Amino acid sequence: MEARPRGEVKGVILALAAFVAGLAPATGAPSPALFVDRATEWGLAFTYSTGQSGELYFPEIMGGGAALFDYDGDGDLDVFVVQGHALKPGSPDPGPAGWGRLFRNDLITPRGKNPAPRFVDVTAASGIRATGYGMGAATGDFDNDGRIDLYLANFGSNQLWRNNGDGTFADVTARAGADDPRWSAGATFADFDRDGWLDLYILNYVDFSVANNVRCYAPNTRRDYCGPAAFAPVPDRLLRNRGNGTFEDVSLPSGIGRKAGPGLGVVADDFDGDGWPDLFVANDGAASFLWINQRNLTFREDGLIAGVALNAAGRPEAGMGIAAGDADGDGRDDLLITHLTAETNTFYANLGGGLFEDATARSGLGAPSLPFTGFGTGWLDFDGDGRLDLAVFNGAVNLAGATGSGAGLTPYAQPDQLYRNLGGGRFALVEEPAFRKMAVSRGAAFGDVDNDGDTDILVVDADGPVRLLVNTMESRPPWIGLRLAGTKADRDMLGARVEVRRKGAPALWRRAATDGSYASASDPRVLVGLGEAPEVTEVRVVWPDGLVESFPPPPARAYTTLVCGTGKKEPK
Amino acid sequence: MNALVLALVLALGAPANPPDLSGLEPAVAAQIAEMRTLGAPGDLGQVYLAYGFNDAAADRFRAAAALEPGDPRWPYLLGAADQAAGRLDDAAAAFARALEMSPGISPSAAAGWVHLGEIRLLQGRLDNAEAALKKAASVPATNAAARSLLGQAALARRDFKAAVEHFEAALAAVPAANRLHYPLALAYRGLNDRARAEEHLARAGQVGLKAPDPLLDGVADLRLGERVALMRGRVAAQAGRYADAAQEFRKALAARPESVEARVNLGSVLASAGDRAGAAEQLREALRLDPSNVTAHFNLGSLLAGSAPTEARPHLEMVVAARPEDAEARRLLAQALRDGGHLPEALEQYGQAVALAPGDETARLGEAETLVRLGRYAEARRRLEDDLKQMSTSGLLSHALARLLAACPDPSVRDGTRALALAQAVWQAQPTADHARTVAMALGELGRCREAARWRRTALGQAPQQGESDPEDGVSCRP
Repeated sequence: MEARPRGEVKGVILALAAFVAGLAPATGAPSPALFVDRATEWGLAFTYSTGQSGELYFPEIMGGGAALFDYDGDGDLDVFVVQGHALKPGSPDPGPAGWGRLFRNDLITPRGKNPAPRFVDVTAASGIRATGYGMGAATGDFDNDGRIDLYLANFGSNQLWRNNGDGTFADVTARAGADDPRWSAGATFADFDRDGWLDLYILNYVDFSVANNVRCYAPNTRRDYCGPAAFAPVPDRLLRNRGNGTFEDVSLPSGIGRKAGPGLGVVADDFDGDGWPDLFVANDGAASFLWINQRNLTFREDGLIAGVALNAAGRPEAGMGIAAGDADGDGRDDLLITHLTAETNTFYANLGGGLFEDATARSGLGAPSLPFTGFGTGWLDFDGDGRLDLAVFNGAVNLAGATGSGAGLTPYAQPDQLYRNLGGGRFALVEEPAFRKMAVSRGAAFGDVDNDGDTDILVVDADGPVRLLVNTMESRPPWIGLRLAGTKADRDMLGARVEVRRKGAPALWRRAATDGSYASASDPRVLVGLGEAPEVTEVRVVWPDGLVESFPPPPARAYTTLVCGTGKKEPK
Repeated sequence: MNALVLALVLALGAPANPPDLSGLEPAVAAQIAEMRTLGAPGDLGQVYLAYGFNDAAADRFRAAAALEPGDPRWPYLLGAADQAAGRLDDAAAAFARALEMSPGISPSAAAGWVHLGEIRLLQGRLDNAEAALKKAASVPATNAAARSLLGQAALARRDFKAAVEHFEAALAAVPAANRLHYPLALAYRGLNDRARAEEHLARAGQVGLKAPDPLLDGVADLRLGERVALMRGRVAAQAGRYADAAQEFRKALAARPESVEARVNLGSVLASAGDRAGAAEQLREALRLDPSNVTAHFNLGSLLAGSAPTEARPHLEMVVAARPEDAEARRLLAQALRDGGHLPEALEQYGQAVALAPGDETARLGEAETLVRLGRYAEARRRLEDDLKQMSTSGLLSHALARLLAACPDPSVRDGTRALALAQAVWQAQPTADHARTVAMALGELGRCREAARWRRTALGQAPQQGESDPEDGVSCRP
């Protein structure tokens, strides 16, 4: 018989005690739901259509995503959701119903009540004609005019929509040289050469076409969706921003275009701590890539020696979504990659110097994920205790991972998962009603939609209505919200890292970013729960160009904009 | 009805949710239907487990255990079904029950300890994992698999020295398990031995290590039908086990002789195993059955492109017509055209291949070589110079340019100094006979005849080691 170590039992009891103390009401009554789906109530009526045809075309099981971004500059997050449509030749044109949709957030704050968004479909007025088979969205102000632009990754040609600043967008894809006709799963904007202009990384998947569709089968011999191994992987593309509204394709000279991989997730982040943004690409069923920035717009792929290409057993896994953030509180951004059923989600702890270790086993994030196929994911501090918790949105891609039965995608539906950070790199599953819904979840965008100081989650389900999971936790520790803005252009400084120093507690590190998750773009603002150490002594920002500045403590329970160049300069 | 009879009836009853058999391969549906009618619950459970119906399998194994509570097979297989479904606590409890019922350490029991150790490792319960795996390691049949998992447990503890010992031991026992080189490399990295880490990374592959597991291996053998054999064959082929893969594809053909997919796959693995004639025979037969099969055309075309370009050409043209965006097919077609003497057509196809796949250095090289064959030397040089601007670290293109600059028939294209620099860089990166010969040619072009002769000897010395036999090395000297 196995012996149960004493320490382990004690640890579990302590963890449970901490959980109960933090969340359960004193009365002993059932815990109220933390997250409530308010999509319908707030006017977010949209269903992502996979266009299922019975032909089991690969893209039908992979889309789609969404973006949370303040396109109208009014201080609240608006929504763009990509859309799919029937791929079978001869299918009727769905018209505008088959296009992605833009929803404007008209946030209202009734006297004495909590802020409440009201979403209005402004797609027609915006001029956006997202006619491609939508997979994902990326956001960033590529022309430095202070307005956030939108990049749409499609199965087929992509689109770059320039924000005109008057509520409308212009398709500048061709003029900017920003297309990629292959199957793109997502993209990310980052200033890879630190010249002040956002470059664009386009994440490509596999060489599938309706014409080269093949028949694949489940282990039970039933016809099923294919996996990526049935098709050739496709290299990604890196576009350098020339600063004049156009991009130069530097895929080959940078090295990026010389390695093909079935990419489904991408994050630009300074993983080796040298001040230059690197790239992590989660490949589906193949070794992941860690592209280390060589500071001259070339990259070296270091995934193997870094310890993030394969799991601890040396197996490639089906990388889908990525959460990048300092989950273990050591000041370095760690990685959580979501994977297929029968694989764990894998937690790579950043050891510094561009090296990682697979810390899944001791993190508690592996075993509970085994039955599920994870897609959208993100770190979020849902209880404001200063530690990054984790949300994972699931949905099978094949019958081997399906548990249900029924028509369409129903058999592929799975529940989602929310994990609470217990500290020390350990996590525990939270039983949260809103995460029990059975759906085929894909993209998830994270952001404070109602500006109340906590992170809400927009979830895109395949052939299901979008969900807006709103954090309704009422009694939270103090928090600070930061928007990190540029000087030359009033744009979000993607890639900026923030250190929040607190009295009597370790500093908290966060990053201004929109990328990660799956096929989605999140809120670029930084939200920091202060937990039991609410006194902030200083905020330090490492800006994307390497400048380090300190700022006085911002007010609690409010958003503050920190502008690059206006703080006190510090040595690097 | 007494209590015992009632318990038996309940145990033998149909599972709550028997799997829907629609859409299954007919032979498989018939097999399951027959087992439902005839089989005891444990037998039916094994068939369910064989096809991935894990919940239904677990249900039947529970029923079997109720009928035969002293038989360790049922909790063991229940553990396997629960593990496959991701129910790790249930799986561990079931394996533990099975192990309690198995006196001593038999091969089956040892495999059970491996399962239990693997589960505890996934759960992060390292003490429990190591306790189970040490028992498995004491049995020769499961020692290597247990040591590899003990290595993972040691890695998780950051006990890199112990991890190295375990992985080295597992690899010594099963050298083919090249997947282990990766965690071994990470263990060396943890010991700050970067050189050894890199060495093992270079040897890492995807051939894993599996403990013999008599019960579960028996379950796997229950799988029938063409599709199952096809899947097994693909898995074997991906792991580089071409003989096993060919055997599975032949089984698929036995199940359905008209299966084009099985024949195409068989052709592919025969080609990978070096049986080109056998491969061509299978692919031709596949095309007889399905003349429009693009994969068969591609495989046959690529198989013949190097040796029989005239025969390869129509196959590759079929592929390009069906898949105009297929860069690899265009490159192979270009090669067949070039080797068949159709140089302008080859050049056009190479151009399209490069446009479709700018990162394909082989296509770029082929394009330059075709220009050389057309006598358009200056153009070839310009093309290679441009290529190297795009792919500055390409040894293949650097070497081609070095050769052209060292030995081009058109003297105005030659540049011995640049050729030497390129050739030396390529040699440093990869010291092969061919690269040594190019250094010699560049030195010859510069009139440094003595050095050229020395490099020529180096090339000749390297050639036998590397299986090169070309005595016509093209090295000359212009004193």
